[in-house]
Amino acid sequence: MHETSIVNSIMRTLEQEFEAEKLNKMKAIHLKVGILSNIEPRLLYNAYSAYHLTYPRYQHVELHVESTSLKIQCDVCDHITDVKQYRFICEKCERPSKNVIQGEEMLIHKVEFED
Amino acid sequence: MIEKSTKAARGTVQCENTNINLLKANDFVAGIIKKEMAKTGTLLINITSSAGSGKTTLMQKTAQKLKDKITMAVMVGDLETERDADRIRETGIQALQIVTGGICHLEAQMIHQVLDQFDLENIDLLFIENVGNLVCPSSFDLGEDYRVTLMATTEGDDKPKKYPKMFLTSDMMLVSKADLLPYVPFSVEAVTKDAREVNHELEVIQVSALSDEGIDTWCDWLLEKIQLKKNH
Repeated sequence: MHETSIVNSIMRTLEQEFEAEKLNKMKAIHLKVGILSNIEPRLLYNAYSAYHLTYPRYQHVELHVESTSLKIQCDVCDHITDVKQYRFICEKCERPSKNVIQGEEMLIHKVEFED
Repeated sequence: MIEKSTKAARGTVQCENTNINLLKANDFVAGIIKKEMAKTGTLLINITSSAGSGKTTLMQKTAQKLKDKITMAVMVGDLETERDADRIRETGIQALQIVTGGICHLEAQMIHQVLDQFDLENIDLLFIENVGNLVCPSSFDLGEDYRVTLMATTEGDDKPKKYPKMFLTSDMMLVSKADLLPYVPFSVEAVTKDAREVNHELEVIQVSALSDEGIDTWCDWLLEKIQLKKNH
């Protein structure tokens, strides 16, 4: 049910961002969702299919979801660490960090339109 | 002279790199709520946790302790019923029930559309008691000043690593139902260590709304933040 409101939010956002004429030519939506975003791509695809049952207008528009892993950058030594087991600690200097540079995103990364 | 054509070929696909946040609409409304709260100097706290970890009981206790010192109010989100708001009203403070009708979290729009039910000019502290769920509520900014997550001793001390986003975005973790510690296999030390591996800035207080343990520390923390907000 969380994914359903995410899909609604995506479509609402696109309708605000682009004009109706352009939306008619929309071909694909590319999302980037981080592992920390609590979005499960599989469920999102299902929610997107369900959305078309109510709003068939976009049923030809493809949805692509890319998941991204979790990375932090140390505030002190700038080292980038791949976070494993949710230990938000720099692997080089062992300092804790909340500076998440990848893995939190919930982005409409790219939109394709038919020319 | 180099001739060049920049026309896209007909029939090809045109791309727009957008990088729009999926929750842009929510975050926009959260920004409006923040501004409203800044105007009246009302401290807004978002209380999150699993279902049944003692959010409403903590609200009742906090109301009893603080109602002579400050004016507080609560809006409480649930999928159905007005039971929680009724319980909080028994302590004599204003409580508004937001029935989400099946939605598992509160969104900024749901908060914004009920703000006019509160006389914010005369409210020092407004709590949002979120839907009991450690997953989805973590993604939705409600314009709060602080996010406080309850972690009951009956839930098991392994939750911070299971639901990292919630603990990463929280400012305070209240280990609730501390009066049950002698009876449950729960280590405050282990849960604090795990939570701080996720978020090293997380503050931790051990509380029991039944035995009163830690309630004064919690209320002092609230009073300090209320003062900070007023002076801002």
